[in-house]
Amino acid sequence: MSNSNHNAGADILLDIRGLKTYFHLDEGTVRAVDGVDFTVPRGTTIGIVGESGCGKSVTAFSILQLVEKPGRIEEGSIVLNTGGQNRVDIAALDHDSEELRQIRGKDIGMIFQEPMTSLSMMYTVGFQMTEAIRLHMDVEKDEARDRAIEMLQAVGIPRPEQRFDAYPFELSGGMRQRVMIAMALSCDPMLLIADEPTTALDVTTQAQILELMQQLQEEFGMAIMLITHDLGVVAEMCSEVVVMYLGEVVEQADVDTIFHNPQHPYTQALLQSIPRLGHSHEGRLNPIVGSVPDPYHRPSGCPFHPRCTQIITGRCETVHPEISRLDPRHTVRCLLHEDPHG
Amino acid sequence: MIQYILHRVLLMIPTVFGISILCFGIIQLPPGDFLTFYVAELSAQGESVPEAQIAQLERQYGLGRPWYVQYFLWMKNIITKGDFGRSFTWNKPVSDLIWDRIAFTMLITLLTVVFVWIVALFIGKYAATHQYSLGDYIATFFGFIGLAVPNFLLALLLLYYSLKLFGLSPAGLFSPEYQDAPWSVGKWIDLLAHLWIPIVILGTAGTAGAIRILRANLLDELHKPYVITARAKGVPERTLIWRYPVRVALNPFISTVGWTLPDLVSGSIIVSVVLNLPTTGPLLLGALLQQDMFLAGSFILLVSILTVIGTLISDVLLAWLDPRIRFS
Repeated sequence: MSNSNHNAGADILLDIRGLKTYFHLDEGTVRAVDGVDFTVPRGTTIGIVGESGCGKSVTAFSILQLVEKPGRIEEGSIVLNTGGQNRVDIAALDHDSEELRQIRGKDIGMIFQEPMTSLSMMYTVGFQMTEAIRLHMDVEKDEARDRAIEMLQAVGIPRPEQRFDAYPFELSGGMRQRVMIAMALSCDPMLLIADEPTTALDVTTQAQILELMQQLQEEFGMAIMLITHDLGVVAEMCSEVVVMYLGEVVEQADVDTIFHNPQHPYTQALLQSIPRLGHSHEGRLNPIVGSVPDPYHRPSGCPFHPRCTQIITGRCETVHPEISRLDPRHTVRCLLHEDPHG
Repeated sequence: MIQYILHRVLLMIPTVFGISILCFGIIQLPPGDFLTFYVAELSAQGESVPEAQIAQLERQYGLGRPWYVQYFLWMKNIITKGDFGRSFTWNKPVSDLIWDRIAFTMLITLLTVVFVWIVALFIGKYAATHQYSLGDYIATFFGFIGLAVPNFLLALLLLYYSLKLFGLSPAGLFSPEYQDAPWSVGKWIDLLAHLWIPIVILGTAGTAGAIRILRANLLDELHKPYVITARAKGVPERTLIWRYPVRVALNPFISTVGWTLPDLVSGSIIVSVVLNLPTTGPLLLGALLQQDMFLAGSFILLVSILTVIGTLISDVLLAWLDPRIRFS
């Protein structure tokens, strides 16, 4: 993993720096994403994990500027490198600009948590798919139709010609998520953002969808950003992991490091809270103490300190830790690992 | 789809039949009949009516017989000869009296519905997509005024001010010189010049209500996941709003056609009286007051048929609009 360092700049597809997305509500400002940095290498799968409310979905939505009012991207850059010297800062684009629309659905495809409601019930599968294809590819109606059917076939939908004319309510949840994936990949994007794509599906369907995504990645070569709270899914799918807590990235490393050598106390606690088959003799699960703090009253210092078991009393309550680089692909935001040079 | 429409049309027949019996029964409920009214009228003027004449009239109209026999005769004549009976007060066949009125009513009604829909659609969509903006507040303000002010009051105000300020009388559908003139281009233009007034007045409350309904429904839909999916595909914002959430929000809009039609036929009586419109409302009111049985009965029957047709139209539109209805 560490040998990917020598040309790190060249194969970075998406580079997020200092991203801040806030929600301005009557009760106060919620800093849902509060200074997030990470990169997505081309063609790999990166997992974004964390508890509910940690800002992982808002980060994903920010990338396509899909955050709705009262949410707003306050600061930061989201640089998409579409190849060669073509770099676009998505965060700087106007939210209804042609340039942004050309990135949405073409360079970056997205699938969502709720396949039951993510497709419109008023139009056929074919209409919704060809709509995306014809927006981004210079093709005639019947070519778009062929492309859509080809994609439906690729995501393993039986009898795709008939499904093309079906309405989403005639399909099961798993089938609808397959349609969503087919639609998101129909314009051959470089990045697929999957926001908890299997959360609403039953376990067997979950496995099928994840397997399908892996298989399609081999076939199409796109990068996948997988947002999930399920560490089992991460272990299965991802080569790199970003762990988020209260709108910040607390640790980022390759998947082996995260699972076998986690450095942030939050990552360690997350791992200890997963039930494992065959480990029942180890006794009870270790849930993380407490719950995610009230978004309006963020803890001072390190946001995790009230729940941390390794707290350095007197420092963690007051000092907000900076990111320390433990090795080229492993960063952590914790005072236990303070960078002596930083 | 065709099968669905046929099915609905077949269902209409027993419904209309049932309604017609009910209408006739209700009209017969008050004590007395037109003859009682007629005799009372004449005696009030100091004239006496000979028994023989009363008996003769009774026989002529079949008034002495049980109501179901009267109903049967009435229905038989409608179905076989298109004869709706005679109006006692006007001493004319009912069909001579009503078709003109029905035609004008339909014209005003249809144009009002179109007016309500178009205005409400654009304003409602604007109010929802610009929630809590100045435009939204203005739409809401006028919406509530439109809902709260009775139509007839609006009609009175308009009559008063147009006479006072412009010396114009907007009453009726024609200027005096065209009132009984044969149809010509000039008469049509004159009609159009008068027509917008009742349409605006009759449409105000409906528009206000429809704006509120559309705004509320659209607000529910605007943030649904399928809208975000469409946005994530790169669909332009304008296309997206009309194509996805507005289409869903139209549902309750369409379902109201069913009762908009009869409401405008029978609900606009007061406005029609105030504005002196040649629509069905005032005539129906008179017929009911004078126990003019066949005239009132025919009107109510036609209004009922309109209701049923309106419901059919709205059902067909809904099925066309929403595949979930078509498929169930």
